[in-house]
Amino acid sequence: MHRLFLIPTLLINCLIILIPACLTILLAFYSWDGMSSPRFIGFGNFVTLWNDRIFWRAFQNNLIWTAIFLTIPIAMGLLAATMLLVARRGRTFFQVIYFLPVVIATVITARIWQGMIFSPVTGIFGYLQDLGLPIINPLSKTSMALYGVATVDLWHWWGFLCVIFFAALRQVPAEQIEAARIEGATFFQMMRYVLLPGIRPTIILMMIMTVIWSFLVFDFVYILTQGGPAFSSEVLSTMAYRKAFYDLNVGQAAATSLVISLFGLVATYFYIRVQTQEGEA
Amino acid sequence: MKRNAWILSGTAAAALTLIAPLAMAQDAAPITWWYEQANPTSQEHLKNILVDPFNASHPDQNLTIDYRGTELDKQLRVAMLSGQGPDIVYTPGPAYVAAMAGAGQLLPLDDYATSLGWTDRILPVFLNMGTYDGHLYALPKTYETLGLFYNKTLFEAKGWTAPTTIAELETLADAMLAEGIIPFGAGNADWRGANEHYVSIILNSVAGPENVAKALRGEIPWTSEPFVTAIDTLNKWWQAGYFGPDYFSLTGEQSFALIATGEAGMSPTGTWRFGSVNTYFPPANAEAGFVGFPSAEGIASPIYALGVGSTFSIAATSENPDGAAAVIDYVFSEEFYSAMNTAWQGEWNMPLRDLSGVTLGDEVLPLYTEVMANLAAAVNQNQFGYTTWTFLPPATDTYLISGIEEVWLGSITTQDYLTQLDAIFQQELAEGKVPAVPSSE
Repeated sequence: MHRLFLIPTLLINCLIILIPACLTILLAFYSWDGMSSPRFIGFGNFVTLWNDRIFWRAFQNNLIWTAIFLTIPIAMGLLAATMLLVARRGRTFFQVIYFLPVVIATVITARIWQGMIFSPVTGIFGYLQDLGLPIINPLSKTSMALYGVATVDLWHWWGFLCVIFFAALRQVPAEQIEAARIEGATFFQMMRYVLLPGIRPTIILMMIMTVIWSFLVFDFVYILTQGGPAFSSEVLSTMAYRKAFYDLNVGQAAATSLVISLFGLVATYFYIRVQTQEGEA
Repeated sequence: MKRNAWILSGTAAAALTLIAPLAMAQDAAPITWWYEQANPTSQEHLKNILVDPFNASHPDQNLTIDYRGTELDKQLRVAMLSGQGPDIVYTPGPAYVAAMAGAGQLLPLDDYATSLGWTDRILPVFLNMGTYDGHLYALPKTYETLGLFYNKTLFEAKGWTAPTTIAELETLADAMLAEGIIPFGAGNADWRGANEHYVSIILNSVAGPENVAKALRGEIPWTSEPFVTAIDTLNKWWQAGYFGPDYFSLTGEQSFALIATGEAGMSPTGTWRFGSVNTYFPPANAEAGFVGFPSAEGIASPIYALGVGSTFSIAATSENPDGAAAVIDYVFSEEFYSAMNTAWQGEWNMPLRDLSGVTLGDEVLPLYTEVMANLAAAVNQNQFGYTTWTFLPPATDTYLISGIEEVWLGSITTQDYLTQLDAIFQQELAEGKVPAVPSSE
């Protein structure tokens, strides 16, 4: 009888997730402009993607993005969380400050960076240019556009990791920390042998989620550069969006989305494995 | 009893007075129209100039406008697919009409065009543009063209004159560069689609509208020599610095403001920018000028490249097609043109064949009125070019926009760009996605 309580959840999951997911998989094998009747073309969309240099550029950018977000914000978050743990005065204040960018709407954050920081007309970069500094808007250079967008997302994101890591660090048993202190452990020894192993599951979870989120990245890229200039900051999700809503090529958009999902699935597999191990432990 | 009867009859009369308009509105046949994003002022203009007067003059009809925001095209596609769309189908452009007409989602308008006199009132080229498989499916809400805005005050001070040939334009641009002035006030930071304004200009003014029309019909490939020359010319301008150092950082508005202040000399852009002239030029004590974009040798000058931003159609599933046709007919009247263009310039330039009966308010720039009259006259004589956002199918157009950046930034060559553009175009041409291409002289 109690299983009946699952029905509403299953129904919602089925309608909102399962059916659209199945339709997306199906559409990846069709040529469809979103208006006329779909036409079955087998693996045609995947072959087109395979031969599309822009797809590979977007794929490479997703890998670079993942590498950036697996290292820099996690390192920053860990460092700041550890400092919060050590320095007790002003701890709450800094937590609020670090977390503030997370609660600001993405569009606002992006527009502030674009207009008030990077812009050569209205931004700080323009002011520095006027002072004679050779500084340029990273979003306008093919070699820097992706890193420029990543900088904005990093600013918005690392505070979240900091707060998560800080919460985890506070759960490390006090007696372990005390024992290490009595043994004369230095700060780095404390980190290496006590604190980091203590929050290892949290770090792994955040890294797995980072991989999933990195392949889903869309908002900051789309608002700041729309994948440009010259496809230099194109990622798979902006490419899928462009194909679906500008090229009117829903089939190829679905195929691109499947590639994104593939990486999400791999990461989800590891996530479930870690969860299971934790459950068994 | 008598008193009660008076009270009852009085109440009934009052109720009838109150209910009557409601009952009438309920009896009136509804006409639905989904509109794109519009700010409160624009919504007020639509209410005061369109909805209220239309409903007052058509008591049997009840027009309502539903503002759907920037995602209108996506909502419309889904709704049309399920047969649940509005009566008046307001598409983002002819490329959408081609696909919707092909899918049987739109009603042929041929009978209305004859009975309501649209064939006499509307410029024929636009009727041709909305025709698919021999039937009229769409009318453009507004049309626009590209040209060259310039700072007239700056030109007078420097002794420059507006260019009439490509050679004169290049000489002038080089002179501006020598004086530290950016030749073209241009930017795409807020909208990458701005790239195609320059590609459209160069294709029409250097390759020529005849070649563009041939390529659009699939008679010659986009890799043909005239297009190579055109894209090479545009790339030469980019490499020479005509577009300035901050093209990817400036928004359209910021770049247009540069010509008012004299930091830039000219701005190759569309007639929709007339709406910004009064914002930037008077505060800078400058006067704006506008000329058609000069052409290369052997090509008529100027070429007015035609652009259509949005179109009107009627849904095949509409339960009130006559009402929808009446609204479209109302929009294509001289009274509506006069009132709407006085209040909201650049957005409602309906392609009326004869503008002699149109009276615009004093607040409208005389330059705007003159340019629009010149444009209508040129189009009436079949002298026009083709904007890429109007005549190219969707995937070709999006590649045209992004790919030109690759040429400018040296990632690919002109040949690579045109080869890929042609490959995408040929596929879409084979799939019947290319909008109708009217002939120019």
